[in-house]
Amino acid sequence: MIIPKGLFPCALVSLVLWSGVGTAQESGADASEGRALYESHQCWQCHGYEGQGGGAGVRIAPMVYPFEAFAQLVRHTNLMPAYSPNVLSDENLRLIHAYLRSIPEPPALEDIPELDFD
Amino acid sequence: MKSDDRSQPDTARNEDEGNGVNRREFLSTATAAGLAAASLGASEKALTQEVSQTRVAAVSPPSARQESMEYDVPTGYSAEEAQEYFVRNPGSDFMVDILKHLDFDYVTTNPGSSFRGIHESIVNYGGNQAPELIEANHEEIATAMSHGYYKVTGRPLVMLAHGTVGLQHAAMAVYNAWCDRAPMVILAGNHLDVQHRRPGVEWSHSAQDCVRVVRDYIKWDDNPVSLTHFAESMARAYKIAMTPPMGPVAIVLDGHLQEMEVGDQQLMMPAMAPTQPPSGDWGAVQEAAQWLVEAENPVIVVDLMSHNQEGMERLIALAEALQAPVVNQYGRTNFPNNHHLAQGASAIAQADVILGLELYDTWGTINTLRDRVHKDAQRRARPDARVIDIGTKDLFTKSNYQSFQRYYAADLSIAGDAQATLPVLTDAVESAMSRSRRSSNGEREERWRAAHLRGREQALDAARYAWNASPVSTARLYAELWNVVKDRDWALVSDDGQQSRWARRLWPMDKHYQWIGRSGGAGLGYGAPSALGAALAHRPEGRLAINVQRDGDMMYVPGTFWTAAHHGIPMLTVTHDNQGYHQEFMHLQRMSARRQRGVDGSSWVGNELRNPDIDLAKIVEGMGVWSEGPYTDPNDIGPAMARALEVVDSGEPAFVHIRTQPR
Repeated sequence: MIIPKGLFPCALVSLVLWSGVGTAQESGADASEGRALYESHQCWQCHGYEGQGGGAGVRIAPMVYPFEAFAQLVRHTNLMPAYSPNVLSDENLRLIHAYLRSIPEPPALEDIPELDFD
Repeated sequence: MKSDDRSQPDTARNEDEGNGVNRREFLSTATAAGLAAASLGASEKALTQEVSQTRVAAVSPPSARQESMEYDVPTGYSAEEAQEYFVRNPGSDFMVDILKHLDFDYVTTNPGSSFRGIHESIVNYGGNQAPELIEANHEEIATAMSHGYYKVTGRPLVMLAHGTVGLQHAAMAVYNAWCDRAPMVILAGNHLDVQHRRPGVEWSHSAQDCVRVVRDYIKWDDNPVSLTHFAESMARAYKIAMTPPMGPVAIVLDGHLQEMEVGDQQLMMPAMAPTQPPSGDWGAVQEAAQWLVEAENPVIVVDLMSHNQEGMERLIALAEALQAPVVNQYGRTNFPNNHHLAQGASAIAQADVILGLELYDTWGTINTLRDRVHKDAQRRARPDARVIDIGTKDLFTKSNYQSFQRYYAADLSIAGDAQATLPVLTDAVESAMSRSRRSSNGEREERWRAAHLRGREQALDAARYAWNASPVSTARLYAELWNVVKDRDWALVSDDGQQSRWARRLWPMDKHYQWIGRSGGAGLGYGAPSALGAALAHRPEGRLAINVQRDGDMMYVPGTFWTAAHHGIPMLTVTHDNQGYHQEFMHLQRMSARRQRGVDGSSWVGNELRNPDIDLAKIVEGMGVWSEGPYTDPNDIGPAMARALEVVDSGEPAFVHIRTQPR
């Protein structure tokens, strides 16, 4: 995941504190439900259907942040519209997080001949 | 003069008037010496040579009376009848003489009765060659084609419009050209004299001030009342359009003037000499050079600068002399993206001196405005960074439309065409370089080579993500496309700004014609026709024109593809079909999140291009264009593109419909 430039201090502190914290494997059901929420809440608009990011939003998958750091970025942010718990509950946000964690790494660069520009 | 004088030979007067050259002979001479577009990229020496070669003496063409002597009254008609039924020497023939004299390649148009006179003259008197009519289904298409054509060739086209109706249709495309500093000559048919208007539609299609609807965003216009006036105003219009800052101009074509018998008027071809582009003040340029040489981290930011390949070469020379990174905002190609000094915008934050070259938005280069409830500005450049701004934007003098962007007080602001100013600036930089400063270039080059390589690796790495996604990722679309076109002399004729800039991040671009910048005014309906205009420009060069077509843009101007088929303009189109007006999606979502409601789906409303899904391939197929799709499986698109390329190689347009990720 790209660490956005200009990340505000409290989020940075949070990331440091939470980095390396072990994560439980998200269930397939959670990921599936999370994908539906990811789509219905329009996260894909900026981040793409697989969280790959692009010109409008940073890459957010495969998700490496723990939930608390992820929630901090979603709720208190200058990088994107802030989503309050009034429109996106912690429970639903946790399911979206599970979906993003379920997205596998893409193929390695050397396995994609179309990206051999040499 | 008696009316019947016009139809009778008058040998004596002819001899008195004559220079012994009839119009056709005159034309062949004048066209051979005809005016080439002012080449702002030529070196000063070359430019001077070009100007001297293209000056055409103001000589008198044969009069209409001379011309009329070449004809007889048709058999079975009296002279009086012939005068009522026939025109032997219409005013619009002379107008075509002027178009040929100015060396226009094409006239883009959607037909209209207010210019039926010149329409006929172009086809039958001019032979529909140089200029040739390009038929469009909408004036927005005709105008944007002219826009795209200019950005490849550096030569303006004529856009011929049915005055009142056509100009209103063309308005947004004219505004795009204005914002993008793209010259063109708009000819707008109109009937000024009430005596000559037929009842009904001709009245509702006439105006006392026909060009008013676009006057806020053109450089100049005129409403000629005689053919001599027309000739002079066309020469002036061309000159104004092509002098930086360039832009559209408009001339009204009076209907009566087009259709009238010229009679014995002495009509002159005006001499032409392109205006030299304005160069920055010498003293100010010396000061700018001193600042750049003394800077620890000079950064060059460039936008609407390069008029041609020479502009790119000049910028390379300056950047290498300083070993200064170049941040290309891509209003034009400007700088090779595979050069080690090509860097991302983050370089601006490190700069102690920033040199802006033809920036569309100087304030927005130095600052940013956060889109929150309370919009606050933040400086992205260092507080102590000094800004040098070289460009022609201060030479624009319009007020109404705010395309001039927010005011920014540069530390040194120099009015002048940046490309024309660069040789003087580079010489001054070279002169100001001490030995120690010059010796630091090695370390600077090494640093920027490493940064460039990192950026390249990051781009390739980012392209992997969602590689196998369906709908297709925009990175994969560009990677697959590259593998189909990489061995060709290719030119991208569309803007990848809505596709995460993948062409600019992945494809090596080192030729001016490989990229034509953006629309200017960000008005939808520019993409397809400007791409086709650019493809028309590439056709005689045998280049492969590649258009990545957005669905929203295409739905404004689908008829563009009919024009492509009708005129046999080869262009490879693949679509970026994300089934919505995606920019607006994000705006609506931002509003919903800010107001804490409706973030779970309301932003489809008013923004979607689905339900029903649009079969873009079927649309263009119905207009005679080879097409395939829609495809959503990424494994299908490479072979489809290869098949499409075979069609393009045969000289026809081809279209591959691909449904994609949003950006």
